[in-house]
Order: sequence, then C-alpha cells, then structure tokens
Amino acid sequence: MDMTVTARGGATAVSAEKKRMSRAARELNATVTIVARGVLLTLKSPATLIMSLIMPIVMMYMIGGNLSQNMAGGLGFDYGRFMLIGMLVNMLFMMTCQGLSGLVEDRETDFTQEMFVAPVSRYSIVVGTILGSAFLAIVSCFGTLAVGLFMGIRLGAGQLLAVLALSPLMCLAAGAFGMLLLGSIRNRRAANIAIMLVPMAQMFLSGAIIPIADSSGLLLVLSRLMPMTYCLDLVRAVVCAGTPEYDAVVLFNPAVTSAAILGLTALFLAVGTWLFARSETHK
Amino acid sequence: MNKILEVNNLVKRYDKARYNAVDDISFSVDEGEFFAFLGPNGAGKTTTISILTTTLTKTGGEVLIAGYDAQRQAKEVRENIGIIFQKPSLDPQLTAEENIRFHACLYGVYGYRPTFGLMPRAYRDRVRELAEIVGISDAMFKPIKKLSGGMQRKLEIIRSLIHTPKILFLDEPTTGLDAVSRRGLWEYINRSRRENGTTVFLTTHYIDEAENVDKVCIINHGKIAACCSPGELKRTLEYDPTPRVCLPTLEDAYIAYLTKTERRSA
Repeated sequence: MDMTVTARGGATAVSAEKKRMSRAARELNATVTIVARGVLLTLKSPATLIMSLIMPIVMMYMIGGNLSQNMAGGLGFDYGRFMLIGMLVNMLFMMTCQGLSGLVEDRETDFTQEMFVAPVSRYSIVVGTILGSAFLAIVSCFGTLAVGLFMGIRLGAGQLLAVLALSPLMCLAAGAFGMLLLGSIRNRRAANIAIMLVPMAQMFLSGAIIPIADSSGLLLVLSRLMPMTYCLDLVRAVVCAGTPEYDAVVLFNPAVTSAAILGLTALFLAVGTWLFARSETHK
Repeated sequence: MNKILEVNNLVKRYDKARYNAVDDISFSVDEGEFFAFLGPNGAGKTTTISILTTTLTKTGGEVLIAGYDAQRQAKEVRENIGIIFQKPSLDPQLTAEENIRFHACLYGVYGYRPTFGLMPRAYRDRVRELAEIVGISDAMFKPIKKLSGGMQRKLEIIRSLIHTPKILFLDEPTTGLDAVSRRGLWEYINRSRRENGTTVFLTTHYIDEAENVDKVCIINHGKIAACCSPGELKRTLEYDPTPRVCLPTLEDAYIAYLTKTERRSA
C-alpha cells in the first residue's frame, strides 16, 4: 500500500469535510450522534427493553389499577383517564432520568473523557444524552398505553397524538431535572439511589396518580417545585380541553404551565450541565 | 520552528491537597516535534496532560496550544488535539467501528449515519485503510468487549487520528501491551508523524520508547528536573555505565537524574 498517497489523501478528504460543516451544523451533528448512541445502546440491551415494558405493568396495572378499584369513587371525573395521563408522563420522567444515570456509568468507564475532549458544547452533549434516554421512555409509554387498553382505558386519536407531540418537551424537562440531580454525583450506586428515589417522590407529589388540588403546607410547596406537576397539568389541559371535567383535573392556566415548564427546564439544564462539567474538570 | 505548545509557570493544586501536584513548570514543544514527558508515578505527568487536553482546570499559569489558551479557548484547543488516555476510554457496548464513527461524527468530520454502509465513502475508505495498517480489519465489527487489550489500544490510535489532529497526546499508550503490539503501534504512530507532520506528546514508563524523541522533559515531585534532547541528557551522566562496551541509554540518564533530584529534595 502506498502510505504517502493514502494517508495524505485521507487527511485532505477529512479537511474538506470539516470545512463543509458550519459550527451550528457540527453542534447539531454531535447531538444527533449522541442521541443515536443512546438509541443504539438501548437496542443492544434486550433486558433494558423488556424492563421498560414490564414497568408499565407494575406502575399502571398494579398501583394504578388498585387505586382505581378501591379509592377512585366519587371523584367527579374519569379516574382511569386521569391515571393513564399521569402514568404516561411519569414513565417519560422516570425512564428518561434512569437513562441519564448512564452518564455516571460513562464516568466510571472513562467514556465521558472521550465526549468531553470533543470540540462541542457541553449542552450538545447533555441534550443529546437526554434525548437518547428519551427513546427508552417513549418505548415504555407505548407499554403504558397497551396496559391502559387492557384495563379498558383509552385516549382518542387526537388526544394520543397531542400526548406524543408533547413527549419530547416532557423528556427534555425530565432530563434537565435529572441533570440537576446527577450533576455532581460521581458514584454510580449513589446515582442509582437518587434516580429511583426522587422521581418516585415526584410521582406522588406532582399528582400523577393522586389528585393534589387540596394539598397544603410543605407538600404544596414541594409539588410546585416539581417540574412534573406542570408537565402533567399541561398534558391534562390538552387532553381534557372542552370536556366537562377540565376544571376538576387541570390546576393552572396552560400559558402559566408552559412558562413554568420552559423556565424550570432552562434553569435546571443550565445548572445541571454546569455542575456536571465542573465536576469533570474541577478536582 | 513554530511553537505548537507553550506552558508557562503552570501550577495545579487539587482540592484539599497540601502540596502542588504540578509546581510552577514551564516548557515548550515545537511543531512536528516528538516530545517525551517522563517521570515516576505521582510525579505530575497525568495531571499536566489533563490540563493540556482541557479535561482539568489549572490553579495558575498559562497553557497555549496551537496559539489558543487551554482554559479560555478550550473548544478551539480541542479541535487541534487528539488524545489516548492512560485508561482506555472506549464504549464497551459498541463495536470497534461504532466507536470510531461516534468519534468522527462528534468531531464534525462526517455527518452521522446510522450504519457503516450509509456513511460517506471517504469515511469507509479511511476506516478500512487505518484498520488494515494497524492490523485490526477482522475486528472492526466486533464488540469492544471481545477485543484484546492490544487491539483496543490500536483502535484508540485510529480513533485519535481520524480527525487529523495537529498534536497527539499519548498518556502511557503501551501500558499492558505485549512486545509485538507495542512495536506495531509505534510503527503506525511514526508513519502518521512522517505523513501528516503530527506533533506527538508522550508520557511513558517504558523509557526505551523515548530513546528517539526530539526532546525529553523529566518531571519529579511536580517540578521539571531536566528538559533537553536525549543526547544532551545522556552526556550529563556522572557515572560511567559498565561494562564499557555499552553506550549509556536514556534510561541510565533518566534514573541518574531522578536519583539526583531525590537526593536534593531529601
């Protein structure tokens, strides 16, 4: 093989490709690459995929089903639909956060070094990782819908499309919240505990399966700090728009909810990314 | 010759540490130079290389790489460097080719495509060519977990060079490799230096690997003990290595320097 020609030829080709890609395109390409890695890792782990389909059975059928059968009488609205939306959003949050714990695993295998020496923004890396984790979350959403169908709880085609259209925003909000949690945790065991405990607490505080219209005191304050409270409320506002039960299940004006989601997501993403990047380089 | 790397009065003290891990060091590397940064365990080599590659913040001093400040212009610095870390940093869940594709796309060399077959022809040809040169063509589509340590190191070399960096940092690249793998790896790095004029910054415990470098710096207890060519370093040897038929090696000079600095600090 003629090394001189081939190596130089390769370098020239690389330089030409480099020149064609603008900075914005490079950031987008890096984000897409990291998302694709997340999807690929999920597809290569059948056990993870199976677990993401078993989760809805536990959460929706066992927890939700029991609440529905024993405690949902006299609420004044369709509890089944209330719970289905709660579980869909809860799945997006839990599974996205769980996927993010892969960042801590990457730290342990030193793979974060490989990402952090790349000439791309830390935000591209974090947003790519969040959206890569969202793939598994969306798989478990389909599992939740299937369990809902089995339980006789359905959404209309328009309502379903609305939920799916909002799901990337929900995943981003969940990922930003997860980054805030994981930003400065270096130990995988501690990260796994945090990533299970906090979303679990959030499920009860934000009204995924239990209405929180009458919460007060510290529980009220905590519910208002949780981004999932606003995500749930927005999805319920969209799904229940124009129905008689709208006032019974929706807490805030959708404009306020949207502003709260965007504000909290931007804040948590900025602080979480800063904490994560800082813990990598400041020792 | 243009300086591609300049380190001026660099200081690093880790959080809650009582002493500086890197203590006011200064040196420079010329473009295209083969530079060795040697020192015993805990001397400050990896700390220095981490600061130079923007993965660790400094406490004080100045680092310029390809004219860019390593702290304020980190992204520009990263565009110009390639790194092989002391510990392998491959994704064990991906195949060898997927690891390279991930790197090439992350660096913006190629637009991402979901399979090797869909990647641009230039990428496919370059990967095949590099894999052939380092002798891992058969392993390109195998998961990393199934590759030997030597193959993983070779893969890291391919990965670090695919974006044609101006300066390649090698942090103990041959640790744990057998003699054949070490030789193959060095042959490829030397070829790449010749063909692309890549500057190489090497840290190693195998002193014989630094025998042919252009410049060597020895660091001990966070301070530079010596910085010159291997020939100059050997000429400073105070003892006469026996038997007389042997010429002094760089390792002789290295150990003599370390012993001297140990005596001084004691």
